[in-house]
Amino acid sequence: MSWRNAFALALTFAYGLSLSVSAASAQTYTDSPYLKEMGLPPVVERLPATPRVIGDREIGRYGGDLRLIMARSRDTRMMTVYGYARLVAFDDDFEIVPDILESVEVEEGRIFTFKLRQGHKWSDGQPFTTEDLRYWWEDVAKNAELSPFGPPVFLKVEDEWPQVDVIDETTIRYSWSQANPFFLPRLAAPRPAFIYRPSHFLKRFHTNFADPEELNQLQRKFRIRGWAPLHNSLDNLYNNDNPELPTLQPWVNTVRPPSQQFIFVRNPYFHRVDEDGQQLPYIDRVVMNIANGKLIPAKVGAGEADLQARSLFMTHFTFLRQAEEREGYETRLWHNGKGAQVALFPNLNYKDPVWRDLFRDVRFRRALSVAIDRDEINEAIFLGLSQPANNTVLPQSPLFDDEYQQVWTEYDPDLAEELLDELGLTERNKDGIRLLANGEPLEIVVETEGDATEQVDVLELVHDTWLDIGIKLFTRPSQSDVFRNRIYAGETQMAVSAGADNGIPTADMSPSEFAPTEQTQYQWPKWGQFFETSGQAGEAPDLPEAQELFQLYEDWRVATSTDEREEIWHRMLSLYTDQVYSIGIVCCTRQPVVVSQKLRNVPKEAMYNWDPGAHFGIFLPDSFYFAE
Amino acid sequence: MNDHGAGGERLTHFVSQEPFNPVIDAELTPEQERFYMASQWRLMWWKLRRHKLAVIAGGILLLLYLSALFAEVVSPYELSHRNRTHIFAPPQPIHLFDKGRFVGPFVYGFDRSVDPNDLRRVYTPNPEKVQPLRFFCSGGYRGADYEFWGLFDGDFHLFCPAEKSATVFLLGTDRLGRDMFSRIIYGARISLSVGLAGITLSFLLGIVIGGIAGYYGGWIDNVIQRFIEVLRSFPRLPLWMALSAAIPAKASPVAVYFAITLIIALLDWPGLARAVRSKLLALREEDFATAAELLGASPRRIIGRHLVPSFASHLIASATLAIPEMILAETALSFLGLGLRPPITSWGVLLQETLNIQAITITPWIMTPVIPVILTVLAFNFLGDGLRDAADPYK
Amino acid sequence: MIGYIVHRLMVMIPTLLIVSALVFIIIQLPPGDFFETQIAEMKARGEGVDLNQIELLRRTYGFDKPLYAQYFGWLFGMVQGDFGHSFAHNRPVTELIGERMLLTFIVSFATIVFIWVVSFAIGTYTATRQYSLGDHFATFMGYLGLATPNFLLALVLMYLANAWFDTSIGGIMDDQFRNQPWTWAKAWSVLEHLWIPVIVIGTSGTAGMIRRLRANLLDELQKQYVVTGRAKGLPPRRLLWKYPLRVSLNPFIADIGSILPDVVSGSAIVAVVLNLDITGRMLLEALAAQDMFLAGSFLMFLSVLVVIGTLLSDLALAVLDPRIRLTGGPAK
Repeated sequence: MSWRNAFALALTFAYGLSLSVSAASAQTYTDSPYLKEMGLPPVVERLPATPRVIGDREIGRYGGDLRLIMARSRDTRMMTVYGYARLVAFDDDFEIVPDILESVEVEEGRIFTFKLRQGHKWSDGQPFTTEDLRYWWEDVAKNAELSPFGPPVFLKVEDEWPQVDVIDETTIRYSWSQANPFFLPRLAAPRPAFIYRPSHFLKRFHTNFADPEELNQLQRKFRIRGWAPLHNSLDNLYNNDNPELPTLQPWVNTVRPPSQQFIFVRNPYFHRVDEDGQQLPYIDRVVMNIANGKLIPAKVGAGEADLQARSLFMTHFTFLRQAEEREGYETRLWHNGKGAQVALFPNLNYKDPVWRDLFRDVRFRRALSVAIDRDEINEAIFLGLSQPANNTVLPQSPLFDDEYQQVWTEYDPDLAEELLDELGLTERNKDGIRLLANGEPLEIVVETEGDATEQVDVLELVHDTWLDIGIKLFTRPSQSDVFRNRIYAGETQMAVSAGADNGIPTADMSPSEFAPTEQTQYQWPKWGQFFETSGQAGEAPDLPEAQELFQLYEDWRVATSTDEREEIWHRMLSLYTDQVYSIGIVCCTRQPVVVSQKLRNVPKEAMYNWDPGAHFGIFLPDSFYFAE
Repeated sequence: MNDHGAGGERLTHFVSQEPFNPVIDAELTPEQERFYMASQWRLMWWKLRRHKLAVIAGGILLLLYLSALFAEVVSPYELSHRNRTHIFAPPQPIHLFDKGRFVGPFVYGFDRSVDPNDLRRVYTPNPEKVQPLRFFCSGGYRGADYEFWGLFDGDFHLFCPAEKSATVFLLGTDRLGRDMFSRIIYGARISLSVGLAGITLSFLLGIVIGGIAGYYGGWIDNVIQRFIEVLRSFPRLPLWMALSAAIPAKASPVAVYFAITLIIALLDWPGLARAVRSKLLALREEDFATAAELLGASPRRIIGRHLVPSFASHLIASATLAIPEMILAETALSFLGLGLRPPITSWGVLLQETLNIQAITITPWIMTPVIPVILTVLAFNFLGDGLRDAADPYK
Repeated sequence: MIGYIVHRLMVMIPTLLIVSALVFIIIQLPPGDFFETQIAEMKARGEGVDLNQIELLRRTYGFDKPLYAQYFGWLFGMVQGDFGHSFAHNRPVTELIGERMLLTFIVSFATIVFIWVVSFAIGTYTATRQYSLGDHFATFMGYLGLATPNFLLALVLMYLANAWFDTSIGGIMDDQFRNQPWTWAKAWSVLEHLWIPVIVIGTSGTAGMIRRLRANLLDELQKQYVVTGRAKGLPPRRLLWKYPLRVSLNPFIADIGSILPDVVSGSAIVAVVLNLDITGRMLLEALAAQDMFLAGSFLMFLSVLVVIGTLLSDLALAVLDPRIRLTGGPAK
């Protein structure tokens, strides 16, 4: 996110708003009949002075229940994801725009001035002001009892916390002495950093504000010992598990978890309107039923959901398609936004030095990569609907290049054998498995997370073609926590997982996934940890190419123009894919999305992605509506 | 007693002329003699033989265990062999006649296509592709090679497909093109042995603990009784679930297998212990037990040498009836994802796939592993009933 | 009689103590704790973790204390009606369990009634027509019910019910009735869904019950007084109903103690498959998430349900059968 861009956007947005304000004063706002007889103030008073106008789609009509099915009671948080009301948010071109905020001004990438909407209200009708942002910063993030570890780290730039200045009721400024390119993207994330809280509601539970006697009574009532745990259990804006807690999302939860059903009703104070001045959302209620994840496809196929993608996979496609007509829905195939659907991660920090040196030799990684018959995997497991590819950016990204996607992916067992022979791995045992210098057979254990069926299936096929070049592959499934901890500790030779989380980055989005910056990068966990802990744990990268990637990442962080960033991105992608740090197998798989035939404004084809994307979030489900 | 002949005339006086033999009741016909002199086990066998259903059940079990033992030979394909071109292929029924002409057992080969609308793989039997089965055959096709018991290489099979390109999927294939029939046979090895291993464990626990309670009586008996009562009042499945949730995820497949067996056995022994105890309580009052005691035999010897053998047949019957429950428990736990996990192949692991809606509507042959489960449980029950009746040979 | 009740109640106390200790040990078995599991899971979903929140919880619930202290804390809490806190659901366990135990109770009760009705009908039929075709058929069906894995039967019945009667998939009622006040429509919807779990759980218990009833009745029918009655020319129906049947009904009550654990067990797995709002699903989730107080309380409650069920059946038996009430223990 370039600050210049954001600034320009803020400007255009403000300009657009001044237009819509004059238009709005000419036309009156309207709202859903659902809210009649609730004794609410008229809609004009419930909307902020300048609501956000959602354009570029069909004007809808009010009414209806949107039925969703989720796998766990805890999935109430998915409505925070789908609702996607954020201070700033990604639009469907993946640019950051103000949403809850009226405007954002960014100076030098380090001073962020937020302007709230005048008259914006929480779902309980109380005003949403800079006090809510201040309360979080001063009384929650910096309170040692509520936050034993201090404020979240994305607010920290080189050991420095931001300076927070409340300017007036609708203006607040966050500033650092250096640029913080991660600040706005974190606010726009599907699981955003909530840097505000409904202070009017929570102060009752905060020791600095509440009457001690009353606070004691409340603790008894809720059966929770201590004010901090009580405050904490009530204020989770993300989990959405407290129906009492006011929110800014389009729909408000009305049921306390756990339950088999959650009903979310429209927020009468929501800040978005359509071009005709109708307050959003169109749909009055969202009904979320909870069912065993494995039963969800069956329930969807029985017409029990209006909009569903979670728990549906390509393997269910045949079944879903067959029930389409009878149950009145459509099965759309959206694009998956991961850099690769399945990728192998040779662990460059593996504890055994012989193996580690082997993994660190680029020839070995290339040999492994070209010894995979990706076309066959595509046909056998993905029904030909995916693409053989490296773990890199997807064609939908402006940074895409054929070269990145295809280098070292052509199936060429002869080349693989040649590379392995070159490495001196010429001895073989009686089963034809190559031997390492120390006489150990070349047997690689690939670990998978949980019962990731699809990945295990892919590995079965990889096993065959690797065997042809004298490498034996074993698959070992383990539970998520064990899986990770083993990798972090260097006990895993190779891991299989999905590729880059964000396969559709723009030059302004962080390239951290392609440089050793995080412990969760399975190819170099210790190098990532080294960066994350500022050198206190882990190991410093000692391969020149990895060091170069890291340096490029640092350059990106301080780069000042989008062109410069784009240049850096290309150098990183080119280097990363040529070095085959992760062995991507296929990409561009599809995600089945079941949409009721009556539901409108849902894109026919789109990216289904977590961050950026928030699954359906960036398509603004509040603008979805049911046709007659 | 005068009214005996009430309404009738008086009975005539009668004295038998035959010589009086006072031991006539104790004299045995040769048949009876054979019966009384036979060992307990022989008697049991005679009695069991008359129980038709139990004999049939025993035969079925023998067959099942034998095929589990020789899984490599009985199944046409090796356990992990995948046929990439036959993913989710339906079962190939065995035919004898092709267009009215007798060919012997054969299957029709498949033509494959993908339905462009719902992306379903469609397999149509091609009447031109007549593929006769080969019997007692040696390899010659992919997936034929195996390591018998992980020890010897081999490629000998009970039956095989006609040639290299032909297939024989009696029960269809799964999502990776693996032969269901072969997987069920290999799965039997795990599922059937869980029952045996589990019962052995629970047998030992039951005899030792029940023996102690029954022989010593008194407060020891009381404590053990109470403990058994507690264990029996636990709903088993939730307890199994809790225990298997505690198996570390890091554990190797073999360790998981033993842990599951142990967990299943841990909740099963109280039933046996109880039976042992009540029998012991009755038997230790018998003269032969007292005699042994007076001769200075140790309690261990009395229990092990004199008491246990006298009701071993009962124990075996109870054990036989307990095995199916263990097999079902393994199936249920694996199905819930708490038991055995792939790559171990057991019937429960195979049945895990059925929780997917496709299995029932589109590829119902994925449910076939339930057939051997039902068959085994039924067989054990019938055999157990037969054994129980036979255990009391003098009745 | 009162002495007998008091005696039985006294016996229950040590039983429950052992149960609670066992449960506590079991829930402590898995390595790690809820928070570690939680962190791993959040990371796995790429959602990031709020470490602050987790540290806060860890401190509040005394995970630093020694095990025995945690056990006694839990035990005394339970005695006072406080079953601890569910971390996963962020609510007191009591609030979570109550509702689900009620449904568990309803399903168990319905299942036992089902077992009674079916085994009464079939047991009487097969005993009076020993070795007839019907007898063999019924016996075989009973065994088949015993041999079929519950979960598969439940799955198949659920899909069939959806295909034939358009019953919604899974759940104990249609979605629109959830969290709604009771109406006839809602009750009907519950009935529509209830039959599957009842049949599935019931089938595994019926076989044993039929067998016992049949054996008892056969024994009874061979007794002198029946022969006398028959010889006296009593009508066969009256002869059957008057005494033999009544006497042979003892196992119906005496066996609740042994059926109940099986029924509760069965409901656990069937609930997982059928997505019922009863204990099974939540227990499974709690176990997977290592939400120990919740899992522990479930196990505890289920055992208490069984212990109390057994007690009630023993008491009922004592009322019906003076031999037991006078000698102080059930005659086996």
